[in-house]
Amino acid sequence: MTAPTLEVRGVSVPFGDAPGLRDIGFALDPGERLVVLGASGAGKTTLLRAIAGLAPLAAGRLTVGGHDVTARPAESRDAVYLHQTPLLFPHLSVFENVAFPLRIRGYRDSEVRASVAELLESVRLEGLAGRRPHTLSGGQKHRAALARAMAARPAVLLLDEPLSALDPALRDEVRATLLSLQARYRPAMVIVTHDLEDAAVLGDRIGILLGGTLAQLDQPGRLFRRPASLAVARFLGVPNLVAGSVSASQFESALGPIPVEAETPRGPATAVFGSGALHPDPCGSLRGVVRSVHHGPRGVTLRVDVAGIELEAAPGAGAIPDPGDEFSLGLERDRVTVLPGTGDV
Amino acid sequence: MTAGSRSRPAVLAALALSALAPLALLLVASVGRDWFYPAPWPPSVTLESWWDAFRGGGRMAAALGTSLVLAVSTGLAGAVVGWPIGRALADLRGWPRHLGAAAAFLPVAVPPVSLATGLHLSALTAGVAGTAGGVFLSHLVPAAGYAALYFLGVFTLFDRRVEDEARTLGAGPWTVLWRVTMPMMRRQMGEAFLLGFLVSWAQVATTLVIGGGRVRTLPLEVFAYLQAGQDRYAATGALLLVIPALLMLGTVRLAVERAEATPL
Repeated sequence: MTAPTLEVRGVSVPFGDAPGLRDIGFALDPGERLVVLGASGAGKTTLLRAIAGLAPLAAGRLTVGGHDVTARPAESRDAVYLHQTPLLFPHLSVFENVAFPLRIRGYRDSEVRASVAELLESVRLEGLAGRRPHTLSGGQKHRAALARAMAARPAVLLLDEPLSALDPALRDEVRATLLSLQARYRPAMVIVTHDLEDAAVLGDRIGILLGGTLAQLDQPGRLFRRPASLAVARFLGVPNLVAGSVSASQFESALGPIPVEAETPRGPATAVFGSGALHPDPCGSLRGVVRSVHHGPRGVTLRVDVAGIELEAAPGAGAIPDPGDEFSLGLERDRVTVLPGTGDV
Repeated sequence: MTAGSRSRPAVLAALALSALAPLALLLVASVGRDWFYPAPWPPSVTLESWWDAFRGGGRMAAALGTSLVLAVSTGLAGAVVGWPIGRALADLRGWPRHLGAAAAFLPVAVPPVSLATGLHLSALTAGVAGTAGGVFLSHLVPAAGYAALYFLGVFTLFDRRVEDEARTLGAGPWTVLWRVTMPMMRRQMGEAFLLGFLVSWAQVATTLVIGGGRVRTLPLEVFAYLQAGQDRYAATGALLLVIPALLMLGTVRLAVERAEATPL
């Protein structure tokens, strides 16, 4: 069995005097992308800096390619860290920026030229090799920084909010470059972001950083459909949280009974589901009144009053109802997750 | 047209006159022979003092050379010493930073005579009083203070994430220093050098006290010529002392233009 490209085991990182990150653990295979999602101040950047060797660990162990790098300095970890804004060296040309990791490793000039030419071509900057960084556009700077990172041929690439500060068109451009470079050079990636859409698009797996720990680590589809806790559901912005209780293998609430798995603890519980699980259905058992209609970039959602609870629903295939319309709704029960506790739902 | 914009040409003319008139007067005095009050112009001119400034073996030429060597050495050493001190101060927060900055500022703030007197005791103890080395060290104290304060400002604004990224790209601390930080700071290092150069160039009290009259720099010679009533030589020396300041003004102006064109 081969060792994972990156293994983070029991890692704790202090934030000044505060406890900070506690007992973080995951492993990545070559070419795998892990997105760490968390709110501002959750410790996402601290986690990346700790993996990179730029912040000290309070506890835990880091391995890269099976080698323990916990005590190694940043330059010997085989893990390149890219900041949110591209930090190209202003005194060097684009060519020399990309050549930097090769030159400091003592590559011959002919090797440097061949490698840099290949990298610049792969990020479509071959015509700008002689330019200084300050003359590049935002997207070009990002692509140059990615090419420079790949020149080091890192086992692990650590990306801090790589798409956050970009406008939508630039975001697509940088995302495409990132994915194509990764497909070519196969580093394992840890990407931190607070953007759910970036996480869904970029992550083979997503970790949710809450309260200093990884509250859930899962594949995107499963994570968004089956949040592991109410805190995760709230963080993910799951719009519908309905309080009730579990008894005799079913969840009881104002929405009616929903079957649950046998091991679900009995007592107060909350049903969580996205707007896609609730939609107009002439045969549905629920009656709702539309309170408002929201038009967003990803389609239309309805705010609907169902048995005194305001829920978010999808409009379905038919005409979009108007506020005040009353109609029947169907709930896809297999898309509902029942979680213990009610919190302050 | 506002009153402010109407008076602007007059203000600029007054400023230019106040800056250039003393220089013009010095220039005339440096070549004027037998020029005594109340004559408005010298009766004849000579380049004797200028020849002395650049003639090998001349008194002023020797002083000029000593001043140049001391100022260049002080500028270089001040930048080298001030860099790490300024960087370390920039890393501090709260009262330790204020304390450190105050310590760096002290040799700059105290009257030169007080500084010279204090340093004299140290120079005597170290056995360097009356030597060029001792004078160099006494110039270095305020020069390093200026450079440290200058680099404190530079490193407070410096984005260290550039260095972090270089580290993760495989560069060790020395490689980062030589290949990233120092090349990025070329302009700032040049300015710190010029600062130290000018501090040394203008020193009188420390040179006089630590050098004990055995180390003759250009400012000391100017004083000596003034005391001896050799106004032509004093004016020539004074003009020579002004040249680096004018060069620095030009250099700073160029550096500012370059910085605006190439942001760090």
